[in-house]
Amino acid sequence: MTEPDVPRAAFAPWDRRELPGLFGVVESARRVGNYKWIEMRLFEALGGWVATVPELDVKLVLGRQCYHHAWHAELWNKRLPELREMKTDRLTQPANDEMVAFVDALRDPEAPELTIEKLVGVYRVLLPRKIAAYTFHMNATGKITDAPTIRSLNFVLQDELEDWREGEMLLQSLIHTPEHVERAARRQQELEQLMLRAGGITGPGSLGNPDGTVNAVGDAAESEGVSVG
Amino acid sequence: MKKILPVEELARDSRFVRASIQDAIADPRQAKIAERNTGSAKLEPERPAAGDRARQLMHGIFVGEIQALEGAGRTTFDFDDEEVPFQLKLDMARQCWDESRHCEISVKLSEHMGTGIGEFTEATFLYEAACAPDPLLRLTGVNRALEGLAIDVFNTMKEFGDSSGDPVLAACEDWMLADEGTHVKMGSDWLRRLTENDPERRERALEFQRTVDKLFSLGGFRGETDENPIQLARRFREMAGFSTDEIDELSEVATEAQEEARAAAGLQPSS
Repeated sequence: MTEPDVPRAAFAPWDRRELPGLFGVVESARRVGNYKWIEMRLFEALGGWVATVPELDVKLVLGRQCYHHAWHAELWNKRLPELREMKTDRLTQPANDEMVAFVDALRDPEAPELTIEKLVGVYRVLLPRKIAAYTFHMNATGKITDAPTIRSLNFVLQDELEDWREGEMLLQSLIHTPEHVERAARRQQELEQLMLRAGGITGPGSLGNPDGTVNAVGDAAESEGVSVG
Repeated sequence: MKKILPVEELARDSRFVRASIQDAIADPRQAKIAERNTGSAKLEPERPAAGDRARQLMHGIFVGEIQALEGAGRTTFDFDDEEVPFQLKLDMARQCWDESRHCEISVKLSEHMGTGIGEFTEATFLYEAACAPDPLLRLTGVNRALEGLAIDVFNTMKEFGDSSGDPVLAACEDWMLADEGTHVKMGSDWLRRLTENDPERRERALEFQRTVDKLFSLGGFRGETDENPIQLARRFREMAGFSTDEIDELSEVATEAQEEARAAAGLQPSS
């Protein structure tokens, strides 16, 4: 029998969530807008590539994962108005011009012989960067104040991790000569250089800054982010 | 990667053999086959070579699903954010997943029925309907015409599964049938929304759909008589949102296509 009159704390002893978290509303919204933009560019690329890859198993996986990223874009699109951005297109933007250059390069391969190049871009460069940025957001933002974003991040990360594993396995099954290894490494290096210039999928500060701030460099005036340390 | 990928550039492995639908219809052996009195053309277990016909149809479903996947995928990529609404792109991405799943189901069913990839040829007219430069034409050509055909084909195959005592075939076709109804509704919904204030554009899109529907009737392949292997699935089409008038019109188009094919083969018109 329970004791309805006995007061209990609002938080169970094992619930160690704290206020306020590192992100303010503006910073969280800016990042969510970047997420929506990159998810859109990715699902378009996967959809476009379906017709260009001859490997049947790859074709079907790209078709399936195309929807995963579209669904992520939809989640971020729904979150933006809740973060005070009613004109969602305003924040549906790349982090910077370098990110646009990265995406252009990522989506460039078309020929049927270039499946390795297509998959390396997605599974060895972009998805690891997305997983990193999403994980940072989940760990850094307010566990209580930004809980709706965290819930979406959890769903998205589960997809991203499973999709990355599936894509990486496809890639390994396609790489079976030293020349393939070189091609994959060369492609990864080209794209990593571009991603380095972009600073990650939300720009510099995607994984936080050395000084403990979390906003993109140069955006400090716009950010409500709380410094660490 | 360029916008609008021509049909010649669809990527396939070495098992796939491409053949044009015109060559298949104009094949002189077709007239000889048509002269044979083998009874009803419906796909029924008692029909001569029913197993082979069903396997050929399943292979046709498989390659059709690949092209539907490719078409939906291209629609996510070929149009910029300003050209089509965000939600339309999301619907096309969802369709990619569905078509990808249908490919997987079709491969498994092909194995289940004793055939495999490449045993029959691939015609690419489905993809051709899916790469029109106007997104609205894609929606009518693919989501209403092609996916409408898929409703007819899946229902025919489901009934064949029922009548031949193959519950695996019947159940899987029923699942795919449910998805196709969703795709038709998607197409009808976007057609209405995108042409709300543009009746001329709507009429052009519907005209394109009629052209594609006639092509998909394939000289008597689809219709409502015993001479048609694929039967028009009126009930499921109604559930997907086609009006009775639209289904009646399609039935007339199918009859026209059948008579044209008979005339081309030098046969008398059907009674």
